Amino acid sequence: MAAVPVTCVRLTTTSMHTNQILGKTSTLKLVPMGRVTRGFPCLRTSRFQISCSAKPETVNKVIEIVKTQLALSADSEVAPDSKFATLGADSLDTVEIVMTLEEEFGISVEEENSQNITTVQEAADLIEKLVEKKNTTA
Amino acid sequence: MAIRINPMTALNSDYRSFAFTQPKPIRSPKFAMASTLGSSTTKVESTKKPFTPPREVHQQVTHSMPPQKIEIFKSIEGWAEDNILVHLKPVEKCWQAQDFLPDPASDGFMEQVEELRARAKEIPDDYFVVLVGDMITEEALPTYQTMLNTLDGVRDETGASPTPWAIWTRAWTAEENRHGDLLHQYLYLSGRVDMRQIQKTIQYLIGSGMDPRTENSPYLGFIYTSFQERATFVSHGNTARHAKEHGDLKLAQICGIIAADEKRHETAYTKIVEKLFEIDPDGTVLAFADMMRKKISMPAHLMYDGRDDNLFDHFSAVAQRLGVYTAKDYADILEFLVGRWKVADLTGLSGEGRKAQEYVCGLAPRFRRLEERNSAKAKESVNVPFSWIFDRQVQL
Repeated sequence: MAAVPVTCVRLTTTSMHTNQILGKTSTLKLVPMGRVTRGFPCLRTSRFQISCSAKPETVNKVIEIVKTQLALSADSEVAPDSKFATLGADSLDTVEIVMTLEEEFGISVEEENSQNITTVQEAADLIEKLVEKKNTTA
Repeated sequence: MAIRINPMTALNSDYRSFAFTQPKPIRSPKFAMASTLGSSTTKVESTKKPFTPPREVHQQVTHSMPPQKIEIFKSIEGWAEDNILVHLKPVEKCWQAQDFLPDPASDGFMEQVEELRARAKEIPDDYFVVLVGDMITEEALPTYQTMLNTLDGVRDETGASPTPWAIWTRAWTAEENRHGDLLHQYLYLSGRVDMRQIQKTIQYLIGSGMDPRTENSPYLGFIYTSFQERATFVSHGNTARHAKEHGDLKLAQICGIIAADEKRHETAYTKIVEKLFEIDPDGTVLAFADMMRKKISMPAHLMYDGRDDNLFDHFSAVAQRLGVYTAKDYADILEFLVGRWKVADLTGLSGEGRKAQEYVCGLAPRFRRLEERNSAKAKESVNVPFSWIFDRQVQL
């Protein structure tokens, strides 16, 4: 609704993240202009890559859901880069985790994408991408 | 989630696996439940040679049952003779395929064939795809007899072994053999399907075999066959019902008589496992959980017709859509077996055994919930050609 449609500015060398600037602007600025309304890009790797990674709230929600699904205690160690398989999830658990995430966030995960969800972080990132998509197409 | 639980593939539970559990399959994996829905083993297609049928890619494990347990099966041979062989029908009392087909020795043969073809014309292509898939599955009988003879303690050591187990296996094979014969001859006469493509598929399938992941263990083996016999009973029962709805009472009779055999076989196999639960509850419940975790793979999950690399997926999708064999059926069968074997009432289990008991008892509701959610999702309809029906298209 803002006159200046500004969302997360991304500078990335990978092809994985889609350009999130929607609407009228077509240029990708190297320097964030205007208000950044979302979680600010964080420098994730030593490669020159700034990307919007998921908000902590999203990551925490995913961790909560994973712990419930796998019957892990509240104080058990589940980090963003924890692999579901290592935590003891079998294929049915993963399907159910993704299903719970869909219900929780009101999104729909395509089959192809669900195969790529192997860690908490990947799940959170995909969720944010889908929520974003849902909000902008609504 | 757009993941469609395809009982046929899934059950081949290993068929479909997620990235982190198995090597990434070349095709899009589906959460396969039983072999029907069963576990699906991810198959790897060779990208170099043409006409390469799918192969099992999971690690093939052998002789996982401790050798001491072989004694158990020797010790209950008397029991098996009295309680299992009774479920076989004497040959003189058995139906033969000819009983349900036009009689070539009669003057009315040609007319009977015309009538059969006229009835078959009224039956839609998607039904035939499923019937053909079922027939191909039945025709791969050599694989199943082989599988029974891989089991420690019960295998037919010579091909004519006099043990009750061996007698059962041979007679069971002989009874099953009529199923493929009957369906083959019906389909041949019907004129609705491409027999050459079907026959080619059968040749590929027998050549491919299958590993149901029973690891030479009769515990795993008989749990697997219990599940499968019930699955085929459900499946043929449904094709019978559909045939009736399409106005072909004779075909309904054919499918029905096959279903009746499967039911009788199911009774025998579930009785064996019931006995195992009595003798060794801990070992048997662990075996049950193990098979369910691996998912019951469908016997024909490696089917290939020389053209479609996803033939089994496509076939089982149609079977799912028509309600012949569905993810819900997988869950129902599991629930039935849990009840039949009174798994919830088992006592004196080890820690691992209790976990297995809990897992197995809680599994069917989980599948149901998944499937409910899945079917609530609208899916775009996809049509694919099947070489079995001259490349005519059918909706998945």
